[in-house]
Amino acid sequence: MGLSLPTVPSGEANFLTTRLDYVVNWARRNSLWPMPFGTACCAIEMMAAAASKYDLARFGMERMSFSPRQADLLICAGRVAYKMAPVLRRIWDQMPQPKWSISMGACASSGGVFDVYSMVQGIDTIIPVDVYIPGCPPRPEGLIYGILMLHEKIKGESLSNPALREEDPSRVGEPNLPDGVIEELALPYGNSTNQNKVSGLVTTTALTRPADRKP
Amino acid sequence: MSDKPFTDALEDLASGASGGPQSASPYGEAADASTHESVAALVARFGSAVQHHAIMAGDEHVVRVPASRVMEILRWLRDDPAQRYDYLADLTAVDWGGGRPIDVVYQLWSIPHRRGLRLKAALPLDALEIDSASLLWRTADWLEREVWDMFGVRFRGHPDPRRILMPESYAEGHPLRKDFPLRGRFSRAEQTRRALAMPVHEHYSAQEIAVATETEAHARREPGESP
Repeated sequence: MGLSLPTVPSGEANFLTTRLDYVVNWARRNSLWPMPFGTACCAIEMMAAAASKYDLARFGMERMSFSPRQADLLICAGRVAYKMAPVLRRIWDQMPQPKWSISMGACASSGGVFDVYSMVQGIDTIIPVDVYIPGCPPRPEGLIYGILMLHEKIKGESLSNPALREEDPSRVGEPNLPDGVIEELALPYGNSTNQNKVSGLVTTTALTRPADRKP
Repeated sequence: MSDKPFTDALEDLASGASGGPQSASPYGEAADASTHESVAALVARFGSAVQHHAIMAGDEHVVRVPASRVMEILRWLRDDPAQRYDYLADLTAVDWGGGRPIDVVYQLWSIPHRRGLRLKAALPLDALEIDSASLLWRTADWLEREVWDMFGVRFRGHPDPRRILMPESYAEGHPLRKDFPLRGRFSRAEQTRRALAMPVHEHYSAQEIAVATETEAHARREPGESP
């Protein structure tokens, strides 16, 4: 056809030079197999991103892996209840290295509007997160932008940095962050009126009848 | 009431002060029992057990009954040929806060007679126990588990009195009670730690674990090997 390749005389060595990091990262980022962890409306946008119009297959994400053992990328799309937290953590622990994770949407990233007793305030308290995608829910373009940002991140990784892939087996099933950081992350930022940092001392003066308050 | 500041109105509500002549009874204006066939029949049969009858939102009839007689009344409403409330649409509870009793609410529907009725039974906070309706309607099983989980009402004779929404080890109380803080009683760090330490049997019922165990045992068996 129109393409002409230089012919290599038979019997001669044919070689290509590159940096090992470059070729490994190229292979990794172009064949990310996502493990979808869809719990809410964000998952609908994730499915839209995987469908024909937005077509995640363009990025080597042809196969949504419903087994964590054959997945590289955990996409947590939607709110995560505390009852779901050990499930999310176990799925992450079951994924083999190299692995990355995307926190898709406001609820997965910060708890969103659900600043309540039953909701995890950001999945980074449970598992490490590489890319946070804002939005409620983010459009498929948002998810794709997040995936491309992850591609950029993977480009910059190096095989000579073992810290990137290190996991402490004794921390399996443990919270991802120290207590103080979890408390700080869970501070109310305006989405819950008149609340204190320590949840036991909460008073919702604006909305609660005085007689309902604890003495 | 309309020219009072909002906070004053809240104080009134909390202290039980009357907001106007129409709310002389805390349960709303008493209605005429003859407006609803089942209420009239209830009054005829159970007399003073019908403590109060009101009409809400146009055509919703609410009957208050004592908690001690709720089982007897529900059974009669289900079985009497003229009533036949064969469908329990909802079973829930209301905590009014401020130390007032918790109402257990039964929303009934009679499919043959196309008639609805709401029953309410008040339970004082120091005796949150009522007979289970799960022997009358199977659907009450999970609904009563939800009321136990969210409000802490015990159902006598319930076949499986576990929590249903929160994990079984949940130690912060009953979240829909008015005195429950919105963000829970423990710190976020403590909540996260407890959630991750949750053992697997708190996610699944005994039946589900039995099925999973049998499935795994089946997969390990050689072809033709007997269980």
